[in-house]
Amino acid sequence: MPTNGRITPSTLSIKDLPWQIAWDKEKCTLCGRCAAVCPVRTLELGVFRKRVVNTDITVSQASTSTMSVYHGIRQQTNPATACVGCGMCSLVCPNDAILPLRCDEADKLVYHVNQGGAPRRRGGRRNIPGGLLDRIKFIRISMLTDPALDAGRHEFELRTLLGRILSPEENLAHLKENGWIPPVREIYPLIIGGMSFGALSPTMWEGLQMGVAYLNEELNMPVRMCTGEGGCPPRLLRSRFLQYVILQIASGYFGWDEIIHAIPEMKVDPCAVEIKYGQGAKPGDGGLLMWYKVNKLIAAIRGVPTGVSLPSPPTHQTKYSIEEAVAKMIQSMYMAWGFRVPVYPKISASSTSLAVLNNLTRNDYAAALAVDGEDGGTGAAYNVSMNTMGHPIASNIRDCYLNLVKLGKQNEIPLFAGGGIGKTGNLAANAAALIMLGASGVQTGKYIMQAAAGCLGSETDRCNICNVGLCPKGITSQDPRLYRRLDPEDVAQRIVDVFVSFDIELKKIVAPLGRSTSLPIGMSDALGIDDPAAAERLDIKYVV
Amino acid sequence: MSQDNYHRISGKKDGIRIESRILEETIQAAVEQGERFLEVDAFGQHGIGGRLWKAGDEPVHVRVIGHVGQRPGSLGFPNTQIEIMGPASDDVGWLNAGARIVVHGNAGNGLANAMAQGKVYVAGNIGARGMTMTKSNPRFDPPEVWVLGSAGDYFGEFMAGGIAVVCGVDSQTPDNVLGYRPFVGMVGGKVFFRGPHKGFSTADAKQIPISDDDWQWLRKNLETYLDAIGRRELMDTLSDREAWQLIAARTPQEKTGVPKRSMTSFRADVWDRELGNGGMIGDLTTIDRSPVPVITTGDLRRFVPVWENKQYLAPCQHACPTGIPVQERWRLIREGKADEAVDLALEYTPFPATVCGYLCPNLCMRACTRNQALMQPIDVTKLGQASINAKMPQLPSSSGHKIAVVGGGPAGLSVAWQIRQQGHDPVVYDTAKKAGGKISAVIPQSRIPADVLDAELDRIKNVVDHVHLSQPMDRQEIEALKTDYDYIVMATGAWKPRIIPVPGKERMVTALDFLTRSKTDGIGPGRRVVIIGAGNVGCDVATEAHRLGAEEITLIDVQEPASFGKEREEAEAAGAKFRWPCFTKEVTEEGVVLTTGEVLPADIVVISIGDAPDTDFLPESVTVENGFVKVNDHFQTSDPQIFAIGDMVRPGLLTDAIGAGRKAAAAIADLLAGAFEPATERDVIDFNRVHLEYFDPRVTDFDDTMACGSQCSSCGSCRDCGLCVAICPQAAISRSESGEDGFEYVVDDNLCIGCGFCAGACPCGIWALVENTEPQP
Repeated sequence: MPTNGRITPSTLSIKDLPWQIAWDKEKCTLCGRCAAVCPVRTLELGVFRKRVVNTDITVSQASTSTMSVYHGIRQQTNPATACVGCGMCSLVCPNDAILPLRCDEADKLVYHVNQGGAPRRRGGRRNIPGGLLDRIKFIRISMLTDPALDAGRHEFELRTLLGRILSPEENLAHLKENGWIPPVREIYPLIIGGMSFGALSPTMWEGLQMGVAYLNEELNMPVRMCTGEGGCPPRLLRSRFLQYVILQIASGYFGWDEIIHAIPEMKVDPCAVEIKYGQGAKPGDGGLLMWYKVNKLIAAIRGVPTGVSLPSPPTHQTKYSIEEAVAKMIQSMYMAWGFRVPVYPKISASSTSLAVLNNLTRNDYAAALAVDGEDGGTGAAYNVSMNTMGHPIASNIRDCYLNLVKLGKQNEIPLFAGGGIGKTGNLAANAAALIMLGASGVQTGKYIMQAAAGCLGSETDRCNICNVGLCPKGITSQDPRLYRRLDPEDVAQRIVDVFVSFDIELKKIVAPLGRSTSLPIGMSDALGIDDPAAAERLDIKYVV
Repeated sequence: MSQDNYHRISGKKDGIRIESRILEETIQAAVEQGERFLEVDAFGQHGIGGRLWKAGDEPVHVRVIGHVGQRPGSLGFPNTQIEIMGPASDDVGWLNAGARIVVHGNAGNGLANAMAQGKVYVAGNIGARGMTMTKSNPRFDPPEVWVLGSAGDYFGEFMAGGIAVVCGVDSQTPDNVLGYRPFVGMVGGKVFFRGPHKGFSTADAKQIPISDDDWQWLRKNLETYLDAIGRRELMDTLSDREAWQLIAARTPQEKTGVPKRSMTSFRADVWDRELGNGGMIGDLTTIDRSPVPVITTGDLRRFVPVWENKQYLAPCQHACPTGIPVQERWRLIREGKADEAVDLALEYTPFPATVCGYLCPNLCMRACTRNQALMQPIDVTKLGQASINAKMPQLPSSSGHKIAVVGGGPAGLSVAWQIRQQGHDPVVYDTAKKAGGKISAVIPQSRIPADVLDAELDRIKNVVDHVHLSQPMDRQEIEALKTDYDYIVMATGAWKPRIIPVPGKERMVTALDFLTRSKTDGIGPGRRVVIIGAGNVGCDVATEAHRLGAEEITLIDVQEPASFGKEREEAEAAGAKFRWPCFTKEVTEEGVVLTTGEVLPADIVVISIGDAPDTDFLPESVTVENGFVKVNDHFQTSDPQIFAIGDMVRPGLLTDAIGAGRKAAAAIADLLAGAFEPATERDVIDFNRVHLEYFDPRVTDFDDTMACGSQCSSCGSCRDCGLCVAICPQAAISRSESGEDGFEYVVDDNLCIGCGFCAGACPCGIWALVENTEPQP
């Protein structure tokens, strides 16, 4: 009913909304699918009056007014059910009669998403499109100088090392004195970053793991996937596929007792253990899996009762200094698998990253450092954390690498960069740029969701409703009615497609550098950018 | 031809090697001068034997002795035959366009690279990247490369045409005659080979059987080749067809990439096998995780429609203190059951005509959903006025329980009316001569025709047998009632006018007195009337004063007057002036003196600031608070046997008093049956559920009850219009002749997709789309 009632400060018109539904009465067949599929239920059947005034200018007859009614699709305008632009309506419309469009005017909804004093929370990534990584060019193209390689013809061994790589002298000394040298894994340089079972739906998670297993066992690509903080299904822990898994431990410690119980029954060691101290999407903030998402399945994997909220505090509770925080955790996690499994911390990119790194250089157990930049994604975070907190990854990873160079320890502590890699689809180029800036490998999550499962989220604030569990693609939902939209086999196949195509593209970038068996880690003379300040900051060439 | 006939060209001059340019110029000059047999004693010069086009079609023979350099025969012409008498360096026959080149030894890397025509015969092994990028031009015969031994690594990369033959005789790599990673990027041509290999790019090339034509070609050309390299004796060895194999390029259509295991197969044979039945979490859940479409039916719907008929109250009914289901009456009207619509009201009130039709400010109409859309509310007074003819339903026989009702006004008659309908016996006592309380005694006849009121009072008398009029009662008599009756209901109203304590207050006439007397024309208001208190009762005074001849009527109030509705309109129509804020200082012969000193001249001053109940005669067991009787939600006083309703409890409208009577009667019936029933008050319907777009907003008044009924949206109660059946895109909704009302609309879950169109279309707001809480199938 068109309200003629009073307005409130948060009464919005369609014009005020960031997403507006363009509906074509001519094309619409009133099939109901758009309304049935709309995740936020903004779409509803509208009843519309149509009045026609029949005039007779000759005044021989009185003019009349006739009214008729028609039905159509309308969008609700209250902030709680405003369109999120996911476009599922367009997807299911048999007649292409409906489409969400971005408003041409400044968003007014943004001022009203804090009803009840609750600031906006959402999933996704920084709502700021683009980024520096896409501007980095690969300017060193060897044709006659370095042994120029052909990406299509030559054989490549694109591998990186995860683990502490000590100098031969130190290694020998270690072996002699301790009977132990740090374990090192040879893995694929593109890692699927930590996304928990719980944040992701069961179908999505299984699809990812299946795809990873396929890459390893059918295509001989040693791809690894991090569990995120949410434990690991018992069957996976007891399977040979565990070797493709990086187990994450974070401040909530969810699922770790189940992992501990599984250790005696493990067929293989996991690839590594990642200690999460920070996350690029929400630096300095923790997480909370709401009680209504903690169903039987998630509860079993995390080792908790059903229907309780699961907080992951911003910090680990039992650590009081950087020395403790790093050394104590690394030691503990090494002990779990008899010092056979590399353990490394993951932090959000920060102006304090170097402090962590310097600490790690003094700890021979530290297997690597993963740094997650401001463009990282998440299933749920405060909008303010996502949009404004954190450090760009490029300069942060560069600082870390150059610091290692200063210490003569470059590549001894591998650096893994994350956060916004492939943000605009340029996965291989972004990865190569970060590798040449000094990363030994990269972690990516959001790209995987987009490419492997059709995630609709964007930096222009499309969809981004992972936090409420209504993912229309079934990627981040725990509702079987939604996650059954996703077939794990399809996800797995797309993971394979993504990695195989990434591999080709990465080769296309590194082949002209003459690299086929070792990644061009820190090979920054190959990089250029059209911004003198960025060039100076990153210590790469300024090219125009 | 003997060696002596050759024109000799040395690669040295004066014992010093000449540069490649000089040797090339020398050879070209010799050919230009007619030399057709050349012997070049080479010292590593580049490109010997190519480009000898100056001989035209005449064959040119070039024999190379010494150390041949790179690219002999490069850019060679079809007239040229080159014979290298020892091993050759790299790129023999590079970009050869027709020359025949024989190498009597091994050849280096890049043999025949980019060769398009001609032949290269090698009497030994070749290095890496032989036969790469070779072409085949349809205008010419394809190029050929013959190797006696084995090929080096990366053989045939990007090979786009031509024929290579690898004989595998005295191979340098006898376990792999094709070398490491051959035929990557191969798009054309074929390769005969003899001997083992260690794989090739199956994405680009395929092994095919040797056809008879192939074999004929091979045998025939093998002889030529062996003759050229002087190894005719190998003919027998190489004539074993079974020892030969053939590889050809895949066509673009055949290039399907490396055959990969399907993900379905991987899942079944690798994934689930390792993890167990049901995969990664098969041990933790039995929920069906098989894929479902985006649009689903049945239990897979996220939302399901619910037909919530009569689950919510219509705003009109909700607003009516008496609780009359107004929309239900309009439904009956629409169904042509005008009598039933009229009769229905008697279940709720004994005064449907008097109150709904005339005296009530009609809160139902004020609450009507149509107001939300600036549309005229449905006019209930038409239905009210028609209720004069309402017939009483059959009354139940008496239960024997007796309830005393003290006060025969609207509240008392309402409670008695309800009690009788419940089968108990009410006995009404009133001090007045006529029942009806203030309706009869005070309210001007201009507002309620006497015949209407009398008719309804007669109807009440037929229902409530015992109405004792002119029966004043004191406390003792009331106390005595407690023994004779199960319950007592006090409903004596408010009959003590409030007065303001100003000098001359004795000069004021109370509104109650004025109106009571005006009913019988027993008072003359004079020309000028000042009424202190501009509420609705004050307005009635003004209207009556006007009727009785007053000319200047002023209503004053200390604040903005609270009067509204018909009373206010009629007072204004009578020319009454409203003034505020005005504070009375005193009342004199002149009139009302305000605190400002202003005098409002008056022949009569009426005080109309409300009436208070008389509570002096109540038993002590009944608690009185601030002048009013204290009751609980059931209108029960502190004495559980005594109830109190109407203006004794709180000042209100007639409909409030009637509603209180209903509630008290229900409470008493509950107690007689055992205990209070828990309240089952329904919520009022959300306006947003009702869709008024079906109604013409330009309808400004209603001719008759039928017009009213047709324009009522029937908020919360199904109109039975069938619009949901029509709008449902899945034809999932149907009308069923079942349910309490003889019909209901039901959803076929197996057809419904949960779009909510039914809820969106329903004019009455019956359908709701709710979350599907059914467990997963």
